[in-house]
Amino acid sequence: MPPYAPTLLDARVSVPQHVVHRSFAAETVVLNLETGRYHGLNHSAGRMLVALERHGAVRAAAAEVAAEFDRPVDEIERDLCELCGQLSERGLLEVDDGED
Amino acid sequence: MTGRTEARRVRLPPLVARLPRPTPGNARLAGEVLLTYARARRALARRRPLPDVLAELRAVEAPTPAAQPAIAVGLRLGRVVQRTLSPVPGGARCLATSLVLVRMLARRGIESSLVIAARTEPRFLAHAWVERDGVALLPPADPVARRLAQL
Repeated sequence: MPPYAPTLLDARVSVPQHVVHRSFAAETVVLNLETGRYHGLNHSAGRMLVALERHGAVRAAAAEVAAEFDRPVDEIERDLCELCGQLSERGLLEVDDGED
Repeated sequence: MTGRTEARRVRLPPLVARLPRPTPGNARLAGEVLLTYARARRALARRRPLPDVLAELRAVEAPTPAAQPAIAVGLRLGRVVQRTLSPVPGGARCLATSLVLVRMLARRGIESSLVIAARTEPRFLAHAWVERDGVALLPPADPVARRLAQL
C-alpha cells in the first residue's frame, strides 16, 4: 500500500503567494512569509519543487523529474508524493485533490 | 594649603568629547525611531505574516511630504535608524531595523521596498534591508547572497 493518498498523484498543486524560493548550488532555500520561517531543500527536492510549480500537477512533475534523474517514474512519484505531504504540512504547497 | 579654591577644567575623554550635541531635531528623530521600533517588534512578536506587518506599518493616514528628494531622505533616515538602534539588543535586527525605516519613510510619503536575501555558504545567513528605486537605504546583503523577496 502506498504511504500516500492515491488521489495525490492526480492532485493540482501550487506554491502559495506567501512562499518564495531560490535555488543555490547545493540546496534550495524556501521562505514562508506568513510564518517567517526559512526551509532548506536538498538538490533533488529543490528540482521537484520547481517541477511541481511549473506543471501544477504531481503526475506531470514526476514524469519530468524521472526523465531528468533517469529514475523509474513510480519511484519518483512516491518521493514526490512524500515531498508534497511535507511541504503541505509546512504551508509551502497547496494541494487540491478535489476532495472537500 | 593656600586657602584658595581653583576651578579645574574637566577634560572629557576624546570619544565623549567628539559626540555631537543632540539637537531638538535629532532627539525627535531618535524618539520616532525608538517608538517605531517598539511597534515593529510588537508586530513581529505576534507572529503575524510579514506582508500584513508591512501593510500595517505602511498605512499612514496623512503623510507629511518630505522637502528633499526621496533617496536623499531615505539615506539620511537609514543612517539615523542604524545609529539609533545600534545599541538596542534583540534578535532579527536587520528585519526590525528595515521595518522601522519603511514606516518612517511612509510617514513622509516615500514608498520603499523591503528586500530579503539569503546565502547558504559557508553557512546559512538571511538578511533584510530597504531599497528605494534600486538604491539600498540600509546595508544590503553581501554579493554572494541571492534575493528571495522584494515586498
